[in-house]
Amino acid sequence: MGKKMGKKRQKIVLPPELPPEIPDEAVEVSDEDVQFVSENQEYTGFMSNLDTKTINKQVTRVADVKEDELESLYERRLKKKALDKETEKQGLEVDPVDALPVKTLDGKLHYRTVPKATQKSENEDKDEDNTNNKDAGTDASVVKRTKAEKRAQLKKMRKEAKKHSKEVAAVEDVEQIPHAEVLDEVRKDMTAEEANEKKKFRLAELGTALLTDPELNIKSLKEMLEISKDGDRDIVVLALKSLLAVFRDIIPGYRIRLPTEKEQEMKVSKAVKKMRFYESTLLSAYKAYIQKLIAIEKQDVYKRVAVRCICTLLEAVPHFNLRENLLAVVIRNISSEDDISRKLCCATVKSLFINEGKHGGEATVEAVQMIADLAKAHDCQLHPDSIEVFMSLTFDEDLGKHEAQDANSKFKSKNAKRKNLKEQKVLAANERKRTRKEMMSKTLEEVTAELKAASLATDVTERRRMQTDVLSAVFETYFRVLKHALKPRSESGSSPELAGSHPLLTPCLNGIGKFCQLIDLDFMSDLMNFLRKLARSGIDSDGSSKDVSACLTVSERLQCCIVAFRVMRNNLNALNVDLQDFFTQLYNLIIEYRPGRDNGEILAEALKIMLCDDRQHDMQRAAAFIKRLATFSLYSGSAEAMAALVTLKHLLQKNVKCRNLLENDAGGGSVSGAIAKYQPYATDPNLSGALASVLWELNLLSKHYHPAVSTLASNISMLSTSDNQIHLSNKSPQQAFKELSLEQESFSVRVDPKNSNAKREKWNASLKHNSMGPDLDLTVQVDENAVKSKLSEHYSLLHDIAENERLRRELAETTLSLNLHEQYKKQRKRRTK
Amino acid sequence: MRPLDEQETTQVFEKLHKFVGNNLKNIVENPSHEGPDNSPGRYCFRLQKNRVYYVSESLVKRATNIKRDNLVSLGTQLGKFTKGGKFHLTVQSLGLLAENAKHKVWLKPTSEMSFLYGNNVLKGGVGRITESISEHDGVVVYSMSDVPLGFGVAAKSTQDCRKMDPNGIVVLHQADIGEYLRMEDDL
Repeated sequence: MGKKMGKKRQKIVLPPELPPEIPDEAVEVSDEDVQFVSENQEYTGFMSNLDTKTINKQVTRVADVKEDELESLYERRLKKKALDKETEKQGLEVDPVDALPVKTLDGKLHYRTVPKATQKSENEDKDEDNTNNKDAGTDASVVKRTKAEKRAQLKKMRKEAKKHSKEVAAVEDVEQIPHAEVLDEVRKDMTAEEANEKKKFRLAELGTALLTDPELNIKSLKEMLEISKDGDRDIVVLALKSLLAVFRDIIPGYRIRLPTEKEQEMKVSKAVKKMRFYESTLLSAYKAYIQKLIAIEKQDVYKRVAVRCICTLLEAVPHFNLRENLLAVVIRNISSEDDISRKLCCATVKSLFINEGKHGGEATVEAVQMIADLAKAHDCQLHPDSIEVFMSLTFDEDLGKHEAQDANSKFKSKNAKRKNLKEQKVLAANERKRTRKEMMSKTLEEVTAELKAASLATDVTERRRMQTDVLSAVFETYFRVLKHALKPRSESGSSPELAGSHPLLTPCLNGIGKFCQLIDLDFMSDLMNFLRKLARSGIDSDGSSKDVSACLTVSERLQCCIVAFRVMRNNLNALNVDLQDFFTQLYNLIIEYRPGRDNGEILAEALKIMLCDDRQHDMQRAAAFIKRLATFSLYSGSAEAMAALVTLKHLLQKNVKCRNLLENDAGGGSVSGAIAKYQPYATDPNLSGALASVLWELNLLSKHYHPAVSTLASNISMLSTSDNQIHLSNKSPQQAFKELSLEQESFSVRVDPKNSNAKREKWNASLKHNSMGPDLDLTVQVDENAVKSKLSEHYSLLHDIAENERLRRELAETTLSLNLHEQYKKQRKRRTK
Repeated sequence: MRPLDEQETTQVFEKLHKFVGNNLKNIVENPSHEGPDNSPGRYCFRLQKNRVYYVSESLVKRATNIKRDNLVSLGTQLGKFTKGGKFHLTVQSLGLLAENAKHKVWLKPTSEMSFLYGNNVLKGGVGRITESISEHDGVVVYSMSDVPLGFGVAAKSTQDCRKMDPNGIVVLHQADIGEYLRMEDDL
């Protein structure tokens, strides 16, 4: 036992000097003393349990020990403790389950001694499990902690581990079991625990050392890598994460280029040599680390950890070497079924797109191209998130214009005509600007190239080229998705869910809508054709038997129409094109829409874009839409009805000639156009003859149970009498839809105003204020009875209609049977004659 | 007056098809409420003095009572057969075509007069144009307030129209309602 004589220092109060040590044998113990001690065990029993070691510990001062020895001192202490624990195990009996422990004065947990041989093994195992779980628990919580706190966490881990070891020691003061194997097993586990703790400490030490002075300690990277090749899962995870934290902070802001042969032969100064050595070690360690990550990612156990590490690395240092490997893994996982890893990957890719400054745009190009290849390889059966990331792409506003100007200046001598072109230039140019550059003198080229390489600013042409690449890859993906969506059912292969086999269609359409102003004019016609076919895809083309394209849902088809209109509107400067087909599709889709199944907001958006915003309409077509919207609002829920009515009002106000629909003139008179009768089932709005119909639905709607709908309907029917009402309602159909679908809740609350105490009344009043839109001009005092009566009217009407139908059916049947009977009688007469 | 034979019918239908496309069946099967009968009759085509007319059956029945030389016209004239056997649509068919047209072009107010004088439609005068017009399709020309002004043949597809300069020809003139004044004698 080492005992150091405390050195005297003036200012520090030293613990008192111990009495001179007398070896045990020299102590003379008198018999009386022995008798006294053995008789009074209760008093003197404590002496046998004295922890002399702890007492001695107070004496040896840690501060006196020098730095290097400090480490070794701590390690020795730990080792001794471990050994002591093993020896002590044989002594005491503990059963932590049955008895609460007692904490003695020196901080040691003392368990009551109850001998129970068989239970102990269980308890031991349980304790081992507990410690393991605790380990895993702390590990799991460590996993979830953010990387920024990793360093602090590593330091804390040391202290925790120390405490942990004490606990482990306490728990492990388990009764010695006669079975030797269990003892051995326990000893093995103990040493494994020990070893784990050691490794964790080592990791922490290395990590902090690297972070403080990377150049000095670069070799410790190798050691950390070694640790990560351990067998225990927790250790590996911890090692990977500590390496991640280290790399993230160490990696420089430039790409490391290893020195070429030539450069290596040159004589260089020490500093440069040092730097080179540092860089090459760093690079090789990084390579090894990444390879390990990639290899480990394939095993399911480590998958999430590996993906998380890779994503963090990619986000933090996208400019560094080996980015392609990282990107490949991230993109591979961008469509995985595991929610967490997929979300991580998507977030990483999005941040890559947004923070282009970090990597100068090249990573964007690579990432986008890889995603395009992925879509190709999987035949568009990916998770929608993978295409959703394209929405975070940004392009320069004047991507098209600049090219036009540039090309103009170069082609001026050749084609004078091009100066007058107002339209956008072709983006995916056949003749690249680069080929023009070759015509310049070569020396000038070289000089400018070197200048560019040296300067860090992103060159404008380079940037444009990269963005063009990105754009072409993005559109390639979108068109592939569209083509896939158009493939007929028999071809779309073995996927069992044929109905939902276009998961990428929605984000693809959104993306096209967002980037539509960048689409080349050549592609415009193809795009429109595609969209037209898609929008039409729900209906069987008569004649062709199996050639039907895959069925899309109503929402998807609506979205196609919306996108087509957006694209067209963005290209208005070229030509104002009237999208006849899409109007026909919308006309049919309104009827096919079912409130529960389909998305009402998309319908409202479609109505707004196609009908309200459009400046001119064919009279027949406008009338057809008006009539159909009125019919639609009869059978749909109040929200959709509201949206439809708002659109209806808008159309009526804009197209003056349609006001004859409000007159009670059934034949339509002279304004009706060539089609004399209204065809309600016509698929083409132009041929519906709606100008000859009357809007009797408004009359029914003014008795609707929802006050907003009924008021609006009565307003509309009075539209013609109030002349020159130029005031257009500010509400769009989308707002109307939203308001009413929220209002549903407030509406039901308002129904019982009688049961309210003071608070509730206030709440009702505030709700009423909030939910009333300024334009709707509702002066509704809803009380229960009115609503009840209206609802009962409504439902009795429905009931009557059903009854009516039933009775008519019966009537038809009876008349049929009567006719048959009469015929039979006639035939009989004829026969008898 | 006689009904059209096979060849003539195909010629007429082809010309009509260029303008109305699938709506041709609407023209042919249009129920006619003219005449004293309660049930609606059909429309049919008759040839009289090299002109093709679109008449309801009830009217045809009664027109048989008039001597051939004295019968000037009946129903709606669609067009004429030339001496060489070709069929041309005339302006009187505008009503029927405008109802069922697939391809439409709307003119800006400034260029309406130019078209009514018999000139072709330039791109700068086009207010709106239907999508998916291909070359040599029949196009009906409207004013912005949806009044049919005439018809013609598309010189370029909609796609090409986008890229043309403003003085390019979009629709080649065939007939317009100004002819009622200009060529009163010929009709």
